[in-house]
Amino acid sequence: MFGNTGKIIEVDLSAGTIGQKTLPEEYYKKYIGGSGLAAKLFWDRGNFDTEPLAPEAMLVFMNGPFAGLKMSGASRNSVAGRSPLTGVWGDSSCGGYFAPELRYAGYDGIVITGKAKAPSLLVIEDDNVSLVDAAPYWGKGIESVNDGLKEKYGKNCRTVVIGPAGEKQVKFANIMNEAHHAFGRAGFGAVMGAKNLKGIVVKATKKDMTIADPAAYEKLRKEVNPALKEALAAVVLGENGTAANLEGGMVNGDVPVKNFASNYNEEMGSKLTGSELTDNYLTKRSACAFCAIACKRVAEVKEGPWKTPEGPGPEYETIAAFGSLMNSADLAATIKVNRVCNDYGLDTISCGMTIAWAMEAFEKGHLTKADTDGVEIRWADMETVINTLVPAIALRKGNLGELLAEGSVSAANKTGKDSIDYTCHSKGMEAPMHDPRGGGHGLALTYATSPRGACHVATPMLFMEMGACYWPEIGFEYELEPMTDENKPESAVISWEMGSIENSACWCQFADREMQISQWVDLFNFVAGYNWDADEMLRAGRRVFYLKRLINSRFGLTAKDDDLTPRMLEPARDGEPEGIEINLSGMIERFYGLAGIDPEKGIPTRDTLSEYGMAEEAAAVW
Amino acid sequence: MEFWQDTKQPIDAFLKMFEKCMVDPELSAGLKKVNQVILFDYTQDGPDCSFWIDTRGGKLTAGAGKPSDKPDLIMSLSADDAHRSWSNKLNPVMAITRGKIKVKGSATGLLKLAPKLKRVAELYNEVLQESGQADKILK
Ligand code: SF4
Repeated sequence: MFGNTGKIIEVDLSAGTIGQKTLPEEYYKKYIGGSGLAAKLFWDRGNFDTEPLAPEAMLVFMNGPFAGLKMSGASRNSVAGRSPLTGVWGDSSCGGYFAPELRYAGYDGIVITGKAKAPSLLVIEDDNVSLVDAAPYWGKGIESVNDGLKEKYGKNCRTVVIGPAGEKQVKFANIMNEAHHAFGRAGFGAVMGAKNLKGIVVKATKKDMTIADPAAYEKLRKEVNPALKEALAAVVLGENGTAANLEGGMVNGDVPVKNFASNYNEEMGSKLTGSELTDNYLTKRSACAFCAIACKRVAEVKEGPWKTPEGPGPEYETIAAFGSLMNSADLAATIKVNRVCNDYGLDTISCGMTIAWAMEAFEKGHLTKADTDGVEIRWADMETVINTLVPAIALRKGNLGELLAEGSVSAANKTGKDSIDYTCHSKGMEAPMHDPRGGGHGLALTYATSPRGACHVATPMLFMEMGACYWPEIGFEYELEPMTDENKPESAVISWEMGSIENSACWCQFADREMQISQWVDLFNFVAGYNWDADEMLRAGRRVFYLKRLINSRFGLTAKDDDLTPRMLEPARDGEPEGIEINLSGMIERFYGLAGIDPEKGIPTRDTLSEYGMAEEAAAVW
Repeated sequence: MEFWQDTKQPIDAFLKMFEKCMVDPELSAGLKKVNQVILFDYTQDGPDCSFWIDTRGGKLTAGAGKPSDKPDLIMSLSADDAHRSWSNKLNPVMAITRGKIKVKGSATGLLKLAPKLKRVAELYNEVLQESGQADKILK
């Protein structure tokens, strides 16, 4: 096999056994890698009754075919399984340095089941894979655990670690690589916690890579890498990080304010935007493995209430979630809370969204001090957020911690009093910090149809509506008007194909914007030795999207679950998009027709599945 | 050129627009934050078809041709697309993606300018109106 190693590690934590398995090449050709291949392994196991936090639950870490190949943005890794936050399919992607090291050690992925009797670490040193005692690390924050592991296993080892929030099985606990890069979404930190698995250490001594056509690949790499680096988006991201355009996004209505009640506050936009972070708090830029774009931030707050030592700085999502979403323009507070959340191991999107919901619930009197252990939860009160709410959530402290640690949807369901109306999610996954009412109506469609729930990185729709994608080879050469439904179902089909390819190939959406379709195809062919054309590649992307929907169907989801909450569809109270209604049901209906999806069951029809070489899967659901 | 009779005409209009921007309270504050020298390069339509703005150090100046200091940012496009762009009728991201606009240098200033384009377009339309070129105003 070329590109991929074909090998995965299988760990049964209950039995304490570790094995290796070789996967058929057909799996890679059909489902690419990353979250696509993880979905195939999950589907094969067929254990759909297992609760996400049960010992038998399956947790999969999976690389893409380009991990370790020295291309900007191509070395991400996916974690996948049944999400404890949503109860349905979940996957989460992480940049950083884990994927190449795993590849160099000789593996494409790790499949973990069972529950260890005591806190454990999985240690991978080339062919030696072992489980070791993690008692000294249990209960500790991610930064100190990462430091401790580097001390023990050498500074070149790579780590993925959960924090106290994962141990306490907070439903949106994350997993951190190198204490900087997050497998943020869907709560897989809680799954590791439930398995008594504190972390994974990987250390490779070799860097062997076998690819199909090294000379052709090298030529292509030399062409693609500079183009990716020099693209305007890359320059912007490098200069001012992922929040570079927060100010512009605010003017367009893309940045949520006050729990999505609004999406416009110019002053907030100018105070929270990326250049403010650069000018006032940035100490240096940082990057994922081999990425020349370097959008990651290292920041320090030298003085004031949010004094924070130099360390990983916040990304756009965190700045908006703990800034405008909470009606706060305090950028220093977002730097502080980012470090606090990272150390506890909390997804900053779901955490910010859950707290913003609680702020609105408290304002409306739906939550009172009797529910919150006496804590007043007020808009923009960052002191309470940082010193009281985040620790309460991470450690499940008191009634308040227990309530919010389950996520906004569960908290609203428990609270009642119509508080569910102002949650913002799809399928139980809190929405990210891009408001479809301003960001673009196509985004509403892809949020709603996303297998893992509201997600801006599952597809490139945000970039397509912005005008940052141009793929004439596959029919995407038209301009999209963000504030209408025109051509959105058509472009959503393409966006699901391309997004599934990106996420299965584990490529960063910020880095690959300049990649042309022919270059994508060449890469697969030169690295993995396929004989693909564009159509064959898109078919693989489509198959991944279909399979994830089939998995969700086995969890009981139907077309009805492709929806957004009233708060996300009602016109924002101010800002430009005010009054423009999103025709979500109309877009979904047309999208189903174009994508061959049954309008009741919400899964591809039998004919569609057969057309995509998924007759076996069709037999299981039809 | 679709909109212009010669290469002097667009530069005159754009410079007049910038004069208005510099005294507009909101825009002048925004421009000062840009803190860069920017060259707007339309020389694909003629060697003299360019102008620059200097927003450094809290002062705002602009002129035809090339700046004496090295620009932090150069935006190259056609004078027609510049007209569309200052009229806020050209999606800049799309124009860049499709190679209609080429950008070289630090993009920080560009991002500071982008949210202000709507107001800039209002002033640009005023210039066209006042200079007897109302027929050029894009609806
Ligand atoms: S663009 Fe940023 S997030 Fe993406 S791979 Fe590069 S450094 Fe990582």
